[in-house]
Amino acid sequence: MLEARHLDKYFREPVKFHVLKDINIKVEKGEFVSIVGSSGSGKSTLLYTLSSLDTDYDGEVLIDHTDLRSLSNDQLARLRNSSIGFIFQSHYLLPDFTAIDNVMLPGLKLGRLSKQELLTAALEKLDLLDIRDEADKAVNKLSGGQQQRVAIARALINDPKIVFCDEPTGNLDSKNARMVFDLLKELAHGLSQTILMVTHDESYKTDRQIRLHDGQVVS
Amino acid sequence: MRDSPLLKIVWAHLTGRKRQTIVSVLGVMFGITVFIFQAGMITGLQDYFIEKTINSTPHIEISSESDASKTPVAAKAYKGSSDIWFSIRNQKDREEFDKIKDGLQIADLLESHPDVYGVSPSLTSQAIFKLGVIDVSAVVYGVDIRMENRLFNLEQDIVQGSVTRLETVNNGLILGSGLAERLDASLNDNLNIVSPNGVTLAMKVVGIISTGLRDLDDQRAYASLRNAQKLMKVQSSHITDISIKLKDIDKAPELANEFERRFGYQAEDWREKNASVFSVFKIQNIVTYLVIISIMIVSGFGIFNILTMMIYEKMTDIAILKAIGYTDKDIRVIFLSEALLIGFAGGVLGLVLGFGISIIAASIPFEIEGFVTSERLNVNFDPLFYTIAFFFGLLTTAVAGLLPARRAARVDPLHIIRSQ
Repeated sequence: MLEARHLDKYFREPVKFHVLKDINIKVEKGEFVSIVGSSGSGKSTLLYTLSSLDTDYDGEVLIDHTDLRSLSNDQLARLRNSSIGFIFQSHYLLPDFTAIDNVMLPGLKLGRLSKQELLTAALEKLDLLDIRDEADKAVNKLSGGQQQRVAIARALINDPKIVFCDEPTGNLDSKNARMVFDLLKELAHGLSQTILMVTHDESYKTDRQIRLHDGQVVS
Repeated sequence: MRDSPLLKIVWAHLTGRKRQTIVSVLGVMFGITVFIFQAGMITGLQDYFIEKTINSTPHIEISSESDASKTPVAAKAYKGSSDIWFSIRNQKDREEFDKIKDGLQIADLLESHPDVYGVSPSLTSQAIFKLGVIDVSAVVYGVDIRMENRLFNLEQDIVQGSVTRLETVNNGLILGSGLAERLDASLNDNLNIVSPNGVTLAMKVVGIISTGLRDLDDQRAYASLRNAQKLMKVQSSHITDISIKLKDIDKAPELANEFERRFGYQAEDWREKNASVFSVFKIQNIVTYLVIISIMIVSGFGIFNILTMMIYEKMTDIAILKAIGYTDKDIRVIFLSEALLIGFAGGVLGLVLGFGISIIAASIPFEIEGFVTSERLNVNFDPLFYTIAFFFGLLTTAVAGLLPARRAARVDPLHIIRSQ
């Protein structure tokens, strides 16, 4: 599903710095994998290079056997739209829109479903995440935990091949954090959703942990 | 279907910052309003003048005005020879009143020309008009009043008296309204006219005419051709000008050249005769368009500013839209649409407001005294202006939106997401 071969990355500013050193990893379909490591270990950087947002690296990143660097900017955008879901530390919902509108945004772009079908699908996702009642509320009227769940629903709306999470629980209190993690686990195990998650909290037990230290995979 | 989320975002952006949106719409509206009103007024006045000129003055005028610098016969005789030097002292012109030789025959010839609608021969001379203690210098215009009336529809411009009385009343005279004012003359007054060669004729005011063209109304008095000839002590075949009206005014310059070559007298078309006025029009137009363009540039800058601010404010929105699969082009479309929507709304409002102001301005009584006299502003309601103004507004906003839109499209989502 996802593969990195001899991945090297440098920061050029302010001084040249070797962030990722010869990373070789593989994520199989349906796996729930986490990347752990202390802050500064390069785990977020790794996530962004694997997820097509950062293409400034040496080596190869393949999603479904497609080399990301062989794609144009527009092709990458289309790939993200159809095959990749993102969950960030902040929810990054559009503040002017309601919850349901936010969830539908990637689907409208994809245009695979009619508006009516999409609405049904979006409501199903919200239902899955147990916040269907909040569908028509403006997102800034929701609590932090609810906002993050809307963001998860948005990541899932196009049935992506893989979901990338960057500290998805980082902004939440421990109760909400636990709930979000449990939701992700449910998605992975119940629906065979492939998930790659970056976290500094090693207590989250995923199928597999990739431990990063100073830009190198240590286990 | 695919465009609808973009439009939704556009709408959310525009309604999210209502005050800025309204201000920039008003900016465009103001520009378009000024465009419509100013262009309508300036060209309205110009069109009014042109219409009046075409109706009340000849399309082509053949005149006997001889070249002031007559070359002496001796100079003609020795032209081209460099061996002979000569000088002519105390050169005197024969005292002679200007004349178109065989003028009436030429007029007949022209009358039968296929492109000519009609001709009117005339004898024109400067003269002193005396009424009581007032002396005024003006032009006596001796015409066959029927021919003149056929060309210029004088009847329509008569404000007092009548055209036909010029034929029935012996020594009748029709005064231009401005001239009558200067003389303090009214209908049926008797006045004396003194010609340059000393003949005095007692004449009676049988009509007062107001064409709306200042030059004509202030300077001209119509008399019968016969009386004018009496005044100048010339024969009954003597004329100095031939006024020509054409069926197609666009042929005027071309035919003026033809007539000048054919008859050997100066033939000027109406544009040539009014060249000074047209050059003033040209300057007016340039100033008008400069004003309009500067207003549009100012409102363009307004839109540019607001969109640029919007981009900084919506940076995370842009980043996240890109992360969930919206392309650079989509982002560009969003911000360009915002600019165009502002332009569209401002344009429509501007057209409506400009039209309203124009209608009000056209209905207010207003004395104009310039090239023309008129009782109200003559506003041009040509739909072409409205079309041009509208597309000009859209163009300005599109140009103003282009740079911010490109900047928005270049936002790197990674940079925004990682820095938060």
